Amino acid sequence: MSTAIQGGLHRDTKGSKLVRYSLIGISLLFVFLMLILPLITVITEAFKQGFAVYSKAVADDYTIKAILLTLEASFFAVAINTVFGLCAAWSLTKFKFKGKKILATLIDLPVTVSPIIAGLIFLLTFGRQSPIFPLLQDADIKIVFAVPGIVLATIFVTFPFISRELIPVLESQGTDEEEAAALMGAKGFTIFRRITFPHIKWAFLYGVVLCAARAMGEFGAVSVISGHLRGKTNTLPLHVEILFNEFQYVPAFAVASILVMLAILILVARSVIEHKGRKK
Amino acid sequence: MYVELKHINKHFGNFKASDDVTVGIEKGKLIGLLGPSGSGKTTILRMIAGLENPDSGEIIIDGKVINDVPASKRGIGFVFQSYALFRYMTVFDNVAFGLKIAKKPANEIKERVHELLELVGLSGLEKRYPSELSGGQRQRVAFARALAPNPQLLLLDEPFAAIDAKVRQELRSWLKGMIQKLGVTSIFVTHDQDEAIEVADEIIITNRGRIEQVGTPYEVYSNPKTAFTASFFGQPSIFKDYSNFRRFDVLENAENAIVRPEFVKVTKKTEVQKYKNSAEEGVVEEVDFRGYGIELRVRVNGVLLTARRSFDQPRIKVGEKVDVFIYRMFVTQGDTATLLENKSLREPVVVI
Repeated sequence: MSTAIQGGLHRDTKGSKLVRYSLIGISLLFVFLMLILPLITVITEAFKQGFAVYSKAVADDYTIKAILLTLEASFFAVAINTVFGLCAAWSLTKFKFKGKKILATLIDLPVTVSPIIAGLIFLLTFGRQSPIFPLLQDADIKIVFAVPGIVLATIFVTFPFISRELIPVLESQGTDEEEAAALMGAKGFTIFRRITFPHIKWAFLYGVVLCAARAMGEFGAVSVISGHLRGKTNTLPLHVEILFNEFQYVPAFAVASILVMLAILILVARSVIEHKGRKK
Repeated sequence: MYVELKHINKHFGNFKASDDVTVGIEKGKLIGLLGPSGSGKTTILRMIAGLENPDSGEIIIDGKVINDVPASKRGIGFVFQSYALFRYMTVFDNVAFGLKIAKKPANEIKERVHELLELVGLSGLEKRYPSELSGGQRQRVAFARALAPNPQLLLLDEPFAAIDAKVRQELRSWLKGMIQKLGVTSIFVTHDQDEAIEVADEIIITNRGRIEQVGTPYEVYSNPKTAFTASFFGQPSIFKDYSNFRRFDVLENAENAIVRPEFVKVTKKTEVQKYKNSAEEGVVEEVDFRGYGIELRVRVNGVLLTARRSFDQPRIKVGEKVDVFIYRMFVTQGDTATLLENKSLREPVVVI
């Protein structure tokens, strides 16, 4: 009797077979068309003229420089955003202060603003038209059309990722455990290391991975501020664009395949982290 | 007095959490801070612990003003409402935490932790994580952790709130016994009057940021001084005009009359009752089974009163006309409460 009722409920909530299969079918088709097909295309185009051409394109000096620059920019973006993300998430969840809501909203700005605009902001702030440009020139600091500009743009675009992962976890934890530790005489850093960090570890790593992924792939903001100087200010995504515009299709796809592989690597890292985090 | 609060005020924005709080606590006593939610009892506890700072007033422990002493230097053990056990540490590490921070030698820590776990009856669970313990066990760990550095004062914030009813009963007597055995001065916060009456040596009643009354459970229960205390305890029926109950003195400016179930005797018309002549007639509106007996709701002179009867007494039905005799009532005038006795109790009774 009860199983019959359960069966009926099950059908009511999960819908009929037809609905189920068509929903699954649509999702699979969509994922295939939008994600898998392009990925396959990138790989096949990259190897179209054989492995020798592929490896020549990948081992090209400019490509290697682009890879190194991308890694450099990503490294700085992740490092700086880690510090900022921890500070922002900590202060937003553990303190009460004026302007807290505004700060929480502003953190999300880079996600809503188009990266091109982010690039333009830095171009106008540090470029020739800027009032502080003479000062920068006197101090011999180059930001626009140089590596610092690329790093800045990458930081801007990726800065919500870590704090956004941490805030919900810190919020759900409350402040009791920290208070308890403080009452027993623990100092700020000990409290962070022994109480808070074990709790946010997996969310934190997840945020770092997302931040790194976004930093490596960033195109718009970096494109505006980099100046596309080959071998100097060309990141991987920019390098792909240049090659493509020069009708060098195979090298373009070959370089793109590096980005794809980095993305897959990160995806794997992400799943591992998620899996471990859930087990805890 | 071991712990003293003098003219403490505390605001949270516009909310006045403490309003000129002055109270003293003797050494070795187990004190219950009792009041409805939002009455400021937890704020008092957190200020003593140093987790909040008063806007004005002095907090004195053992003769020293400790307002400016940081929480960690006050020598206080604190048990949080949700226990706040460190969830990524084992039971052992939780209890050892304070000792490690104090840089005690490892063998001493080990000895002390085992001694404490033995005391709270959790030996053998050292390697468990808090998530692998029951509610009652978690409370015991929190208790052991708070006691580890040998505090002079133990503060407990709603220590039984997170535990299911059956275990709670057991833990109440366990905690009371444990604190008596250790002799550590303790203050616990609760909103549950039964809990306060059962566990505390002395009760401090708070309401709207103020201290209403301080006394033994017996004193505050049977001799409430303020209108709030009179209405807080028991299961009172409160009504405005008691002039229809002619057997009670009429006080000037009386606001409310408060009648607890134990002040009311309900008898069937056919039952013998000593004060039958001065009883009022009432109509039974509700008869409820309560486990310990029967709870009745009786309307007398337009007022609905609650009364109790035991199973041994003859059954009463809904709608039945009964005799209702009220022994006493509290009458409030402004902030004060006065106990009035039924005049018939003083008159010689002629039993016919």
